[in-house]
Amino acid sequence: MPAETPVIEMRHVDKHYGALHVLQDINLSVDKGEVVVLIGPSGSGKSTLCRTINRLETIDSGEILIEGEPLPQEGKELAKMRAEIGMVFQSFNLFAHKTILDNVTLGPREVLKTPKDVAEQEAMRLLARVGVEAQAHKVPAQLSGGQQQRVAIARSLAMHPKAMLFDEPTSALDPEMINEVLEVMVELAREGMTMVVVTHEMNFARRVSNRVIFMADGQIVEEGTPDEFFDHPKSLRAKDFLDSIRGH
Amino acid sequence: MSAHTTSMRDALYEAPGPKTRRRTLIITAISLALVAIGIGVIIRQFYITGQLDAKYWSFFLRPSTWRYIAGGFVGTLRVAAVAGALALVLGILLMLARTSGIKPLSFAAHVITDFFRGVPSLLLIYFFYLALPQYGLRIPAFWMITTPVALAASGVLAEVFRAGVNAVPKGQAEAALSIGLTPHKTMMKIVLPQALRIVVPSLISQLVVVVKDTTVAYVVSYPDLMQNARVLITNTDALVQVYFVVAILYILVNYAINQLSIYMARRSGNPIISRTTENPT
Repeated sequence: MPAETPVIEMRHVDKHYGALHVLQDINLSVDKGEVVVLIGPSGSGKSTLCRTINRLETIDSGEILIEGEPLPQEGKELAKMRAEIGMVFQSFNLFAHKTILDNVTLGPREVLKTPKDVAEQEAMRLLARVGVEAQAHKVPAQLSGGQQQRVAIARSLAMHPKAMLFDEPTSALDPEMINEVLEVMVELAREGMTMVVVTHEMNFARRVSNRVIFMADGQIVEEGTPDEFFDHPKSLRAKDFLDSIRGH
Repeated sequence: MSAHTTSMRDALYEAPGPKTRRRTLIITAISLALVAIGIGVIIRQFYITGQLDAKYWSFFLRPSTWRYIAGGFVGTLRVAAVAGALALVLGILLMLARTSGIKPLSFAAHVITDFFRGVPSLLLIYFFYLALPQYGLRIPAFWMITTPVALAASGVLAEVFRAGVNAVPKGQAEAALSIGLTPHKTMMKIVLPQALRIVVPSLISQLVVVVKDTTVAYVVSYPDLMQNARVLITNTDALVQVYFVVAILYILVNYAINQLSIYMARRSGNPIISRTTENPT
C-alpha cells in the first residue's frame, strides 16, 4: 500500500500584508487522523496560516493541497472544498438571526441538499453529543460562550468534514467554560478527526496532539511531539514563549 | 454611574448640579415666554388682517371640502407608498450590484447611486414631465411623480442598505463561507437578513423624506394633498387656513411614521436579551 496522501499539505506558502511578511515559506503536512497544534506569540501568523487552509485568507505564492488536490480559488469548487473542511472560530460566529437548530441544519440543507427532517434529526443527535440539545430552539445570544462554541463545533460536524480547523477556539471564553469546549475537542480527536488547532491550551496539546508546531514572525520555528516541545524546546524563541505563558 | 437607567444621555451628559438646574429653569421660563409672545403676535396680526374671519374658515364645515382634502390625502399616500416600495427594491438591487465584487457592475451601481443621491428630485420630475414627452414618451401623471421620487430615494436607500451590510460582523459571512455556502447564498441567507434588521428604523425614517418629496406632485398636476390644497385656495382665497390644515396633516403622517420607526428600533434592537431575562438558561 502506498503512503497515504496527506489530508492537508502546504508547500512553500508565502503571504504578505503590505510590507509585513506574515507567512514565510510555510511547509506543512497533516495526515489523516492527525491532530496538529499551532502555537506561538500573537502576530506570529498562526491564525493566518489556519485561515489560508480554507481560503478565508488568500496566499501570494506556494500551494495548498487538500487530499492531493490544489485548493480551488473560487466558485462552486471552492465552496465544495470549504464544505469538506470544518472551521471553528474564536468568536463562535453562530448565525445570530437563526435558532441553534437552524444554525446546524443550514449547511446540510443548503449545500448537501439533505431533506429537512433528516437534517434536523442529525442536528439533534450532534447537539446531544456536544451537550446542548436542550437549547435547540433558542437563538445564539441566549447561550453562554461555551455552549455557543459547542454548537459551532456541531455546525461544522453536520457537514461531515474531512478535517477541522480550530482558530483559537477557547480564547474568547470565560475560564470556567474552557474545559467544556476542550472536552468536546478531545473526544473528536480520539474518534480520529483530522484537526489543526491554534491554541495556547498546553494541557490539551499534551493530551491529544500528535505534533506541536511553534511559529514566530511568520515562520515555523520548530516542531515536534508535545512532550519534546513542551519539556525540551530547542529554540530560544520557543523557550522564551513557553516561559511567558507559564507565567514565570 | 447613577443608579437609574444608563441611557445614551447619561453617558454623554453629566447629571446637572443645583446651579445648573436653576439656570436651566430660568432659561426655560424665558424661552416659553418668548414663544408665547411670538404666537400672540401672530394671532393678533391674523386678527388685524382678517385671517380669522368666519368666511375663511366656514368652508371647513362643509363635508365636500373634507372629501376633497381626503382625496388629495389618499393621492399622497398612494404616491408615497408606491414610490417607497419601488425605492426599497431599487435600493437593494443597487446595493447588491455595488457589493457584488464584479468590477463593471459595481462601478455602474456606484455611479447610479451617487447620481440619484446628488440630483434634486424636482429636477428628476422635470425630466419625466418636460423632457420625456418631447421624445414622444407620455406617461400618466401618477408615474411622472412616483418614478422620480422613487429614483431619488433609491440612491439614499442603497447607501442605507450598504451601511447595514457593513454593520453585520465579518465573522457571520466567514462562518457561512466555511460551511460551503457560495458568496451569493452567504449574502442572501446570512448577511442581508441581518443587515435589514439593522436598517429597518432608518428605512422607515427615510419614508418621511419620500412623503415630503411627493409634495411637488403639483408640478405634474397629480391630485395629491398639496395639489388639492392649491385648488381649494383658488376657490376660497383661504391660503393661510388651507395650508395650515394641510401642514397639520403632513405632520401627523410623518409623526406616525417616526413613531413606527422608533417602535421598530426598539423591537429589533435586542429582542434576544429580553427573551433571556424571561427565560434564563
